[in-house]
Amino acid sequence: MSIEPFRRLVKLVARAFYDEEIPAKGPNRSKSDKSDNKGIAVVVLDALTRRQWVKEEDLAKKLRLHPKQLRRTLRVLEEEMLIIREHRKETVKGAKVYNAAVAAVSDGTTGEKEGEEKLKLHTHSYCCLDYAQVYDIVRYRIHRARKKIKDELEDRNAIQEYVCPNAGCGRRYSALDATRLINQLTELFHCENCDAELVEEADKFAVPAPEGDGEDNARRRRREKLRELLEKLDKQLQPLHIQLERVKALVPPDFGTLVQWEKRAISSVRAGGESNEDAAKAAHGQGSTGPPMPYMGETKVDVVMAGAAKNEGKDETAAGPTKVLPPWMIREGMNLNAKQRGEALEGEWNEDNGGTSNADIKPAEEDKEAMQKKLQEEYVRAYYAAILASQQNASQPPKSENNEMSYVEKDVSTEAAAEVSAGVVVKDEGEDDDDVEWEDAPAAEVPIAGSGHDENLEDTEGAPVEGQGDYAGEADEDDIEWE
Amino acid sequence: MFFHIYLDRNLQLHPRHFGPHLRDKLIAKLIQDVEGTCSGRHGFVVAVTAVETIGSGLIRDGTGFVTFPVKYQCVVFRPFKGEILESVVTMVNKMGFFAEAGPVQIFVSNHLIPDDMAFQSDDVPNYKTSDGSVRIQKDSEVRLKIVGTRVDATEIFCIGTIKDDFLGLIGDPGGAT
Ligand SMILES: [Zn+2]
Repeated sequence: MSIEPFRRLVKLVARAFYDEEIPAKGPNRSKSDKSDNKGIAVVVLDALTRRQWVKEEDLAKKLRLHPKQLRRTLRVLEEEMLIIREHRKETVKGAKVYNAAVAAVSDGTTGEKEGEEKLKLHTHSYCCLDYAQVYDIVRYRIHRARKKIKDELEDRNAIQEYVCPNAGCGRRYSALDATRLINQLTELFHCENCDAELVEEADKFAVPAPEGDGEDNARRRRREKLRELLEKLDKQLQPLHIQLERVKALVPPDFGTLVQWEKRAISSVRAGGESNEDAAKAAHGQGSTGPPMPYMGETKVDVVMAGAAKNEGKDETAAGPTKVLPPWMIREGMNLNAKQRGEALEGEWNEDNGGTSNADIKPAEEDKEAMQKKLQEEYVRAYYAAILASQQNASQPPKSENNEMSYVEKDVSTEAAAEVSAGVVVKDEGEDDDDVEWEDAPAAEVPIAGSGHDENLEDTEGAPVEGQGDYAGEADEDDIEWE
Repeated sequence: MFFHIYLDRNLQLHPRHFGPHLRDKLIAKLIQDVEGTCSGRHGFVVAVTAVETIGSGLIRDGTGFVTFPVKYQCVVFRPFKGEILESVVTMVNKMGFFAEAGPVQIFVSNHLIPDDMAFQSDDVPNYKTSDGSVRIQKDSEVRLKIVGTRVDATEIFCIGTIKDDFLGLIGDPGGAT
């Protein structure tokens, strides 16, 4: 399974149907606008196959197109249901999330910085190919084209259609609606909506009937022409048919909505960055989680936490890989992924420690949802590490103190609120540390977890560092406590 | 197409009709209620031919009306696609013409009228051949073939064609063939 067949499909579709001048249609397009846009759709679609979600401004720059021209083309493609677009008002911060995601996808080469870095709301548009829909739309389109010719061939389109000539209305009716449409005064058909007089839909193919021929002869000639047309259509669309057939069994790539995509791209690079650090080890540890996903969009985050490398053989004894473990069940030496650990902890933390956590989370609330989620994740991990540390402090005071020192050195920035709140939490945990569950926590695991976490933070371009404040606070408090 | 079928109906009768002629009253009411109605499922009820059974009545709370379940036999007319019908033209316009075959309304659009017939917007709008030998106008009798039906819960509407062998005008207005 790969994205490549779908890319090829899009390219074929672009050349089959959008090679010509894009016809101006719809009421919002002016007639005077006569810029030559022949083939632009092909270029744009090709460019989109090489990208996932892309900001339209950036795309315009890359393609050396005028943004307006690009937007016009994109609007047509959107109407044709080939691409999905999203518009959102965002501050510079919001744009940064996107930039981070782009950096994540295109291995580190960030697009040029935005010129207007003001704290104003700008409406930015993003677009992305919708491969699943492209597949459906193309099949539908071909089906319609063939059906039309075939119906004509077999004289099956006996039921005449009528259209409202009013540009703003354009409703369609069939002859089966005749009784409703007939106007008793004029004895003509009128639109139910705007009362304009309907005109017959001229959807017959203009096949010239030679004059002077008998009717039978003309009909035969017409049939011949139609059959020819059908043959031509099938022949010319053959490559497209083949590609559609090839793609049939594959799962189309789905990048989700813009926000989902950003989240995934950022988190996947975080996971990726870690495995790059120690590729062999990570691969070894993750062996049981299956082969890597074919593309970024679907990559699940599999963070190998402390002790994974050591215990890779044992993880089958733990609960299934996707099952979320409650925090009290997590012991040292378990091989857990981020899902098990993170989600369980997040839930626990929201319920039980809401009071202390609120202060810490507040700054993040203003940000985009993605940002907040990430922060929470970070915090949860930091918090978890902190608990472990304090547990282990309880059992082995002198050793843990040394460990804590390293955190303090690594610390980048601290936030007073975070410090205090985290400190309180740690202290609380430290006091009732005679819980049976935590007594057998081996000390050696903690630093590994902590260091892995630090790397994660650096990978995401130093986005949220508040989480690290916890270590500092914890360290300080613990020092006091234990000295 | 015509069918002779059994149908059921619950009839409500006012207590003033109770007496020696109860059965007659019921049948009269049945005929009045169902003849000429149309259901998408069975088509138009043309005539009630026999009443099979009349069940025991049930007095409805509060009103005094009595409900009788009645099973009856009737002739229904249900048009189908591909069926040939003889009909009378009711209206002609440039889009085509409307015709009636008994209770059924049929519309024949102008592209299902032979190409050698053209619309004439005279005093009496009509379609006629260039030599004037065939002329379809209001009240003409026309044989047509149904090419499409639209069946609603209480209505059936048809699309017809006269563009085929042996279809078209069969009688001029007035019925003189
Ligand atoms: Zn209208």
